[in-house]
Amino acid sequence: MASRQIALDKNNLRGFSYRFTLYTLLFVGCAIMLLPFFWMVTTSLKTSNEVMSFPPKWIPSNLQWINYIKAWRAAPFGYYFFNSFFIAITTTIGELITSVLAAYAFAKMRFFGKNVLFAIMLGTLMIPGEMLLVPNYVTITHLHWYNHYQALIIPWLASVFGIFLLRQFFRSIPDELLDAARIDGCSRFRFLWRIVVPLSKPAIMTVALLKFIGSWNAFLWVLIMTSSDKMRTVPVGLALFSSDVGTIYEQLMAAAVMAIIPILILFFFTQKQFIQGIARTGIK
Amino acid sequence: MKSWKFLTFGLIVVFLFGLFVFADDAVTITFWHAMSSGHQPHLQKLVDGFLAENPNIAIELVYQGGYGDLQQKINAAVVAGNPPTLAQVYENWTTPILEVLYPIGPQMTDAEKADIIDGLVGSNTYNGILYTVPFNKSIMVLYYRTDLVPNPPTTWAEYLQMAKDVTLDEDGDGTIDRFGTAFRPSANPEQFLNFLEEAGGSILNDDWTEAAINNAAGLAAMEFAVSLAPYSLITSGYLSDPFAAGQLCMFIDTSAGYYYNNQSAGTGGFEMGVARVPVGPVNQKSMIQGTNVAVFDMNQTQAQKDAAVKFARFLLRPENTVYWAEMGGYQPVTKSAYETEEWENFVAAHSYQVPMSAQMLDGFSQILHPNYGDMREVVGTAFEEAMVGEATPIDALDDAAAQIQDLLAE
Repeated sequence: MASRQIALDKNNLRGFSYRFTLYTLLFVGCAIMLLPFFWMVTTSLKTSNEVMSFPPKWIPSNLQWINYIKAWRAAPFGYYFFNSFFIAITTTIGELITSVLAAYAFAKMRFFGKNVLFAIMLGTLMIPGEMLLVPNYVTITHLHWYNHYQALIIPWLASVFGIFLLRQFFRSIPDELLDAARIDGCSRFRFLWRIVVPLSKPAIMTVALLKFIGSWNAFLWVLIMTSSDKMRTVPVGLALFSSDVGTIYEQLMAAAVMAIIPILILFFFTQKQFIQGIARTGIK
Repeated sequence: MKSWKFLTFGLIVVFLFGLFVFADDAVTITFWHAMSSGHQPHLQKLVDGFLAENPNIAIELVYQGGYGDLQQKINAAVVAGNPPTLAQVYENWTTPILEVLYPIGPQMTDAEKADIIDGLVGSNTYNGILYTVPFNKSIMVLYYRTDLVPNPPTTWAEYLQMAKDVTLDEDGDGTIDRFGTAFRPSANPEQFLNFLEEAGGSILNDDWTEAAINNAAGLAAMEFAVSLAPYSLITSGYLSDPFAAGQLCMFIDTSAGYYYNNQSAGTGGFEMGVARVPVGPVNQKSMIQGTNVAVFDMNQTQAQKDAAVKFARFLLRPENTVYWAEMGGYQPVTKSAYETEEWENFVAAHSYQVPMSAQMLDGFSQILHPNYGDMREVVGTAFEEAMVGEATPIDALDDAAAQIQDLLAE
């Protein structure tokens, strides 16, 4: 009896020390990850002198909420936020529609040249975006989309990465399901909509979230394709605080905090699907 | 009869009104710039002043990101055929797009042209014609801590000695805690180009046929820079950050950085002084940095080009270049501006402007070669390799010269 008790205690102790080590490591990792966010928030509330102070001052002595007001007034952030939301939401919905359809075709349908087409499509991922900027600008100008929402939305309604990611996921759905559905008289589209899409929720959420974040953070494309404040987005506003000789850190950080809040809210609500999606598709 | 008179009177009024409206049609011009939030209100004020004088002109100020973004956008717009009416441009951006520019100089009076600071005339003149005019110009000067450097160095030898004297390894662990000076080789190759000019050298020979950076003058400049290396902080970040942390005693930087550097001094709890760069073997010149203003001649109406030239000339007026310098941290770009009472009062109230103004009148600009941007990067890499000891000064320069030669052949 006593020896059993000792064995149990040993197990408990081992379990405790394992958990203790695990939680300590997780805590350290978490602290490292959160440090830049913490720094961003505290810097946004510092005076310019405190920003530069050495050794660094972690907590501002006097909270400078005025930095937020100054940052907000530095540019028409109202327009910027509206545009960022509008463009991020429309491009995300658009990309989901095109990616789901294309990924299904590549994953579940047989057609001539499928693999070659897929390889060519993947090949386009190798072309650096910067190289295409000038030709794209010329195209957008000739289409008379320059400084219009079309320029900021339409070119981003399809994404090779989204198609690739969903295709990989769709391929893991057994073909037998499709066969059974077809025997029961289910059309391809109905099968896609009723079976594939619900089963692929995590992957679709991942594509959506990555797209939303990418669109929210897009800077150069928006800057190049627009010329009026009414068409621009939050990252363009953030660039305003830096010049080649210096940066107004406290205002930049205040604007960055404002810019990151919507993304954080989105992540809090969708983190379960996001993590599942990333884990299942094997993409890190 | 009465109604006839009334009708006639009415027609005349309508005609005159129409004449007024259509003859003096409003012209809208667009100005692409890269001025950050701190500068934009001052630029807007200049525009407002211009609009008050010219109610029939409208100016649309468009922020186009940093200088790199602005350059990309200008290049793309030129290819697409829709550049703005006016834009900020660096010298080397101008050379390849010269044929789509509307030269401003021929629309200016001789007095206006003669008033531009000598160091800025050449850098705005292409094929003998003044195409662009200087806009936001700053000059490289020496910043120093007055508590550690009571008398700023005036010669290269003094600079080296001073850097050596104030470098400190407080705890004796072999790691320097306070550097005599600092360089940003890859981010700011202008620090080396300053030494090169002071040694009488240049990146290219006079007719741009050969790289000249590895000649005797180039070697003298690089050897001097390398002699400073043991006492130098080599970084790619802003120098104002280590300055605030008390890790730095003096450094050569643009006058436009004064605001940030002085703020750092305040944070560090010491006073900052400004001096001309230490004199080199040949001269005491220093590099003028910043952009010019160009007017485009590509799908713009004559009225737009005229309005743009008018605005460019407006910016050169002494009171305006002085305002821009005072508020934006730049230097006035015309000689007469330095003689205005306003500027003299400003300099009297801001002693750091004395060396900056003197240095500005003894400045030099970047070369106009279209591949200057790439050459600048090559120089930055050579400068960095030499400063961190990856290459000897002559090897770094020979390598740079070979790469520059390739760029000349392009």
